Amino acid sequence: MTRVKICGLMEEQHVKAASQADAIGFVFAPSRRRVSIERAQELSRLADNGVQRIGVFVNASYEEIDKAVKTVPLTMVQLHGDETDELIRRIEVPVIQAFSIRTPGDVEKLNSSIADYVLVDAPGTDYRGGSGHVFDWSLLENANLEHSRLILAGGLNKDNVQAAISQTNPFMVDVSSGVETDGRKDEVKIQQFILQAKGDSMERTQEKTIDPVGFFGRYGGQFVPETLMKAVKELEAAYEDAKNDDEFQKEYHHYLKEYVGREQPLTFAARMTEAWGGPKIYLKREDLNHTGAHKVNNAIGQALLAQRMGKRKIVAETGAGQHGVATATICALFDLDCVVFMGEEDIKRQQLNVFRMKLLGARVESVTKGSGTLKDAVNEALRYWVTNVEDTHYLIGSALGPHPFPTMVRDFQSVIGKETKRQILEKEGRLPNAIVACVGGGSNAIGMFHPFIEDASVRLIGAEAAGAGVDTDRHAATLTKGSEGVLHGAMMKILQDDAGQVQEAHSISAGLDYPGIGPEHAHLADNGRVTYEAITDDEALASVIEMSRLEGIIPALESAHAIAEAKKQAQSMTADEILVICVSGRGDKDMATYAEKLEGLS
Amino acid sequence: MKRLAELKQAGHKAFVAYIMAGDGGIEKLGEQIQHLQERGVTAIEVGIPFSDPVADGPTIEAAGNRALAEGITLEKVLEEMQRFDFDVKVPLVIMTYLNPVIRFGAERFTQEAKKAGASGIIIPDLPFEHRQLIEPFAKQHELVLIQLVTLTTIESRLEEILKQAEGFVYAVTVTGITGSRDELAEEVGAFTRKVRDLSPVPVYAGFGISKESHVDMLRDDVDGFIVGSAIVQAFHEGRIEDVEPLIDAVTAPHSV
Repeated sequence: MTRVKICGLMEEQHVKAASQADAIGFVFAPSRRRVSIERAQELSRLADNGVQRIGVFVNASYEEIDKAVKTVPLTMVQLHGDETDELIRRIEVPVIQAFSIRTPGDVEKLNSSIADYVLVDAPGTDYRGGSGHVFDWSLLENANLEHSRLILAGGLNKDNVQAAISQTNPFMVDVSSGVETDGRKDEVKIQQFILQAKGDSMERTQEKTIDPVGFFGRYGGQFVPETLMKAVKELEAAYEDAKNDDEFQKEYHHYLKEYVGREQPLTFAARMTEAWGGPKIYLKREDLNHTGAHKVNNAIGQALLAQRMGKRKIVAETGAGQHGVATATICALFDLDCVVFMGEEDIKRQQLNVFRMKLLGARVESVTKGSGTLKDAVNEALRYWVTNVEDTHYLIGSALGPHPFPTMVRDFQSVIGKETKRQILEKEGRLPNAIVACVGGGSNAIGMFHPFIEDASVRLIGAEAAGAGVDTDRHAATLTKGSEGVLHGAMMKILQDDAGQVQEAHSISAGLDYPGIGPEHAHLADNGRVTYEAITDDEALASVIEMSRLEGIIPALESAHAIAEAKKQAQSMTADEILVICVSGRGDKDMATYAEKLEGLS
Repeated sequence: MKRLAELKQAGHKAFVAYIMAGDGGIEKLGEQIQHLQERGVTAIEVGIPFSDPVADGPTIEAAGNRALAEGITLEKVLEEMQRFDFDVKVPLVIMTYLNPVIRFGAERFTQEAKKAGASGIIIPDLPFEHRQLIEPFAKQHELVLIQLVTLTTIESRLEEILKQAEGFVYAVTVTGITGSRDELAEEVGAFTRKVRDLSPVPVYAGFGISKESHVDMLRDDVDGFIVGSAIVQAFHEGRIEDVEPLIDAVTAPHSV
C-alpha cells in the first residue's frame, strides 16, 4: 500500500487531522510554511508513535540538521538543495533527496542518488522545495527506477492522487498545497486526500482487524462481559427494527412535541453578537426542554424502546444529574421502575437534582468507589445490568458504551442538529460557518454535529473540559490528552496511565467529568472533521456570567464550555459569518456551585 | 493444558484457583502459586488488577485496588513471573481486562506471557466476536484464549463459541458479577450439562463458587470448578487453610 506524507504542517489541528497518514513533514527552510525546531517538537508530540516525522531542509548545515533530528526528534530528513553526498552520509536517520523533473534526463539523476529515498517534484517556482505544480508523471513510467525508494510529490490532490499512484507505483506520496485552502492546511482536505490515496485498502485493513459492525473507524465495538452479549445483541436488533418503524418514530416525536416542548428556538443573540464584535451568534436552546437539558431527547427514545422490548425496569447512571432526572421523569410518565447510580461526589454538588429524582419516584444509589463521579457510576450501573439483565434496560445517558448505544443515542439526539439546520436556513438562507458544542461523553455535540457532517463548509468544534488546565493532572480533556483504549464497552479515547489504568477526570462541571469520549467523536477527531478544544473551569465560569448578563440566559456549566470556546472562535470570524452555539442545558442545577464560586459577584 | 484433558479422561475433577497478582505485594505472587500447587490445585488464574473491573464483585475489586495501590501493572506481573526460581507444575492462565493488554500491545503481551510461563489467557471483556484482536497473536505464541459462556449465552452463539474452544471452557454459573454466593440457581445444572455435551474441551464452573454445597450440586455436570473471591479473600486475611477443604472436596477421588 502506498504511504502518505502530509507536508508543511504548522498547526495542531492539522497534525491531528493527519493521524491516518504514515508521515508528517515540517519545513525548516525559508517558506511560508516554515516552523522553528521548538514548534515542530510541540506539533510532533500530537502524532502517533508509528508516524514518521520528516524534516525538510534546503542547504542547511549538518549541525542545524542534526539539532533538529535530535530535538524534535525527526525520523527522516528530506533535502531539497545542493547537499553533498558527504553530508547525506553523516545524517543519522534515513535521508530523502529531492529532485525536480523536467526532462527524461532528470529522471536518470535519481538513480545516482545515494539517499535512501528519492523525491520527485515539479520544478519549484517561488522557493526551492516544491511548487505545487504537477510534472509529467509519464516521464517516470518507463524509466528504470526502483519504485520502492520513490516518493512522488508536486501538485497532488485528492482528485489526481489515485491516478498518480497507479501510473508511478511510488513508495510514498507527498502532499502540501493540495490539502490547503487559501494557503492554509484544511482538515477535511487532509482526510479526503489520505482516504483517496489509501483507497479501499484502508477500510480493508480495518475490517481484517475487527468486525466492522458498530465501529466508527477503529472505535466502538461491543467490549462487554459475555453475560451482557445477549442483551446487547437484542438491543441492536430491536433498535434496528424500531428505527425503521414509522409508528415508533411517530410516537417518539409525539412525546418530543407534547411533553418536552420541542421544537426549541434557534435564538439570535443580539447582545453577544455585538459584544464579541465578530460573527452573528445563534443559540440552540436545549435549555428550554422539559427537565432543563438535551438529555430528555434520548431518555424518551430509549424508554419507548425498552417497553417495546418488554422491559419495564430501567437502570441509568448520571453525572450532573440531568440524565438521571430525565430518566426518572420518563420512568414516572411511563410507570417504569427506575434506579439511578450517581457518584458520591456528584451527589454532593448536585443535591437539587438528587432530590428531583427522588421526588419523581426513582431510587438513587450513591457510588462511593473510585473518584465517586460519573465513571464509577457507569461501572456500578453496568454491574447492576449484568445482574438484572433479563428484565432491565440500561438507559445510558451519553453516546458511549457498547454498540448500538453510541449510534442510538446519536440518532435520538440528532433532533438538535436537524432542527438547527432547518431553522438557520429559514432565518439566514444558508448554513452556519461554525457550530460549537460541549463534549463530555459527547451526546449533545454528536446530536448537533451529525446532520452537518457532510456539509464541509460548516466548521464543527467540540469544547471539552480542561478543568484546572490540560497541563495539570486535574482535567477531563480526553481528546487533547487521551489515547486509544477500551472502557465501558467501547474502544474510544480515554485518559489512562502507561499501564492502561483509567485515570480520574476532573472538571467543575459534573456532566463533563468523564475520562472517555464516545467512539464517534474519537473517529471524527482522528479524521479531522471535528476540531476539539479544551476550556478551563475558570473560562467556563466567566462565560456563565457573560451570557447571563448579555442574554438573560443562565447556562449550565457544561454548556458554558461551549460558550467560552465560541467566544474564542468568534475572534477570528467576520460580521458576515454565522456561529451557532448549542446551549445544552440551563444553569438551575448549578446554582450552588455558582453561588460558591462567584461569591461577591457584583 | 493437555493435562486438563487427561484429567477429564481419568474422571477426576479440576480445581482452578484465581489469585490477584500483587495483592499484598508482588513478592507474594510466587509464594501463593507455590502454596496452591502444593495443595493440589489443577491450574491457577493469575489476575491482573484493573481500574474499572465491571465483571467483578466487591471482593476482587477491592483486591485489585490493593494491588494497584502497590503499583502493580501487567508488565510487572509478567516480569515477576519470568523471575520465578521454583518449578511451576500447574498451567498458569493470565486473566486480565482488555485495556491493559491494548496499552501494552497485544503481540508483545502474548510474547511476554509465553516467556512468563503462561499457557492461556482469559479476557472477560473481549467477546468471541472481537477475539481477532488477540487470538492471532495468542496462536503465534502457543497460548490458548479461554472463552466464557454464560446462562444468557444464546444457543446459536454457544455452539459457535464451543466449536472453537481450546484449553477449557469457563462456564459462568451466575447471571451477575464475581463473588461468593450462598446458593446457585437451579437452572445452572441444566446449563452446565448442555455446555458439557457440546464442548470438545473440559468445562469448568466459575463465578460464585465458594462452598462445598456448590461443588456437590454441580459435580456431575462439570469437569471442574474455578474459585476466585473465596481464595483472594482467604489470602488477604492470612487464612488460606480455610479454603483447603474446598480444594479437597473437588480433587479428592469421589465414589460414584
